Amino acid sequence: MKRALTVILLLALMAGFGLGVNRLIASRKHNIPTESSVFIPTVTRPKIVLPGTLYLAQNGDIYRLSDGFFTDLHLSTASGSWMQPAYVPKSQDIVAVLRAAEYSNLYLLNSQGSIIRRLSNNANVHLDTVYLNHWMFYPHMGADGNTLYFSYDQPKNSSTLAVDFSVWSGTLSAKLATAQLTNSNPFTGGDVDPTPMASGTIIYSKYAIGSGNAYSQVALQGKPLSRPIILTTPAQDCGQPAPSPDGTKVAMICIGGTGLQSTRLEVATLTAGKLGTPQTLVNNCLCSAPVWAPDGSGLVYYNTADATGHFELWWIKGAWSAAPSAPLQVTTNLDFDASSPPSWSPLSSVPVMAR
Amino acid sequence: MRRQRASLRRPRKRRSRVLLGFLIAVGFVLSGVIGVVAYFMPAIVTAFEDTGHTIDRSLQTAQPSAGASASASAAARASAPPAVAPPGQPFTVLLLGSDNDAKFGGTVLTQSMILARVNPKTRQVVMESIPRDLWVPLSTGGSAKIDAAYLHGGASASVATVEEDFHIHIDHYAWIGLLGLVNLINQVGGIDVVATNPVMDDFYPKDLTGKDPYAYERVAVLPGPQHMNGMQALMYVRSRHGDLRSDFGRSQRQQQVLLALRAKAKLLGIADLPDIATAMANDFSTDMSISEIASLLPIASSVQLQNVQQVILASPYTSVLVVSNQDALQPNWNLILPLTHKFFPAV
Repeated sequence: MKRALTVILLLALMAGFGLGVNRLIASRKHNIPTESSVFIPTVTRPKIVLPGTLYLAQNGDIYRLSDGFFTDLHLSTASGSWMQPAYVPKSQDIVAVLRAAEYSNLYLLNSQGSIIRRLSNNANVHLDTVYLNHWMFYPHMGADGNTLYFSYDQPKNSSTLAVDFSVWSGTLSAKLATAQLTNSNPFTGGDVDPTPMASGTIIYSKYAIGSGNAYSQVALQGKPLSRPIILTTPAQDCGQPAPSPDGTKVAMICIGGTGLQSTRLEVATLTAGKLGTPQTLVNNCLCSAPVWAPDGSGLVYYNTADATGHFELWWIKGAWSAAPSAPLQVTTNLDFDASSPPSWSPLSSVPVMAR
Repeated sequence: MRRQRASLRRPRKRRSRVLLGFLIAVGFVLSGVIGVVAYFMPAIVTAFEDTGHTIDRSLQTAQPSAGASASASAAARASAPPAVAPPGQPFTVLLLGSDNDAKFGGTVLTQSMILARVNPKTRQVVMESIPRDLWVPLSTGGSAKIDAAYLHGGASASVATVEEDFHIHIDHYAWIGLLGLVNLINQVGGIDVVATNPVMDDFYPKDLTGKDPYAYERVAVLPGPQHMNGMQALMYVRSRHGDLRSDFGRSQRQQQVLLALRAKAKLLGIADLPDIATAMANDFSTDMSISEIASLLPIASSVQLQNVQQVILASPYTSVLVVSNQDALQPNWNLILPLTHKFFPAV
């Protein structure tokens, strides 16, 4: 009996040892979060408090960052992903994109995330003509709080394969897509990231293809469909322009030459339709979507915090001063949608409204 | 007498105790080995099924290759380097990617062909994309688009065709199917890519998600840095209808995704192999052994982006050609071969 117990105990110990070795090797795994587990906490207190209210997108939902706290707008993702919020001046509302599988629409929402109304209808009901669907992205409001600028894949000719964005404008109070402002280069992807400036011109990213490479140039569009003023060279490959509130500086993202897999955050002066020599604020990064603080005191942008990816919010104080601060990582453990530029309203707090 | 028997029993008892201790130790070692084997079982299965395939070099023809005479080819073959570069020496890998979804029913072409030269000592990498429409003599006979080599003779025919036409030696190949790429990217937590431009396509094949492999779906990959899961990355590298450069644009994007995967290789170790093997099972094959693949991980992770050179064979290296009523690309061997041999030793 005693011998049998000893044998059972030994066998159990051996099994435990085998299991231990198995788990020891497993513990040596690098535990990269798999794609199904990368969406992590969404409501946190950031490391530093920024003025005003920032609207940001993560995992198909939109968040408000105000007074040092994130608030989840809890938008329904049943029919798509919410992205690219844009605050509406002179109001508490935002415009945002709801992206479905084959099309995207613009919506007007209040600050609590309730849909006020859908602004576009880009879905095509005929399943066999999928190309009749449309995309709308990058909404930006004009200072009047009524004019809306955005990228739209019109005009589109079903007899060709060309699908390119052009910049369009419309109004919240009337029809949305009433004026085509830019003519895009065909088969390049087109014109994106339009931002209205105080002068009435639009600054945007214009894509082109030359010498076998696709590149972006920062462009200014005055009158609709007129020839744009190109501000950067193909070699600079700069896009995502963000004009400062006074319109005298432009922050932009330029792609480095290293296998097209790194970017630079640059700032340059903008005077009389010409950019000055750019100053590189961050080099060799995955920086994207710069946005100036409403008072021009600095700018935020997205960048990855480490090799695992996950885009976090970063802040540079005095981005155009003689001595800009070192980049400060504002958030941790988040995973912002880097193709959704933040929108920064000067309003510091938003009154809570009944949903 | 009793004392004598006791003194005889003592060494026997000692021997049996030693034997028992030995058996117990063997039992622990065995259980440890079982623990290790159980952990690496997916990798072992993959090693048997998907790795260690041999390249059938008999598929190399005696016919004249694209840019050389038969006698020159034969002479070159006689002085050819060993089949596989010794460890630590620079080596060449042919990376093959196929649309192996339902609509192809086993007749698989290689939509993506990338030659990669890796120097483990200097940590330098060169990637040269071979256009799939390149009209070349195939190692299996006749001329066709280079993507058909795989259809006629699998990876061995692709390797032999590239070796003969480009006058280079290929040490290894690695083939991956659509789902293999998607699962690999998802397994490493997605990749971060700087999308070169808005990648728009209204006629992207909806062959992995829907019931009808001939259906289309719309794609819009927005430009700039972003995180992509496996399916998004596949759309990025596979879409071509909305790009002025067509296949050349997506060749560039394919190289980009490889570089993004390289960044994730920094985070991987030998203990991650079973998960990766499970993710890519049945959608991956290579002639490399699992230990050779494992030895590549530290090399991949230590390569700096500035040490990666990318080559695309656009105009003037290739020009449009219509042959047998199909669009193809005419290679300009007078330009392609000198360029290729700058990075890949000529044989």
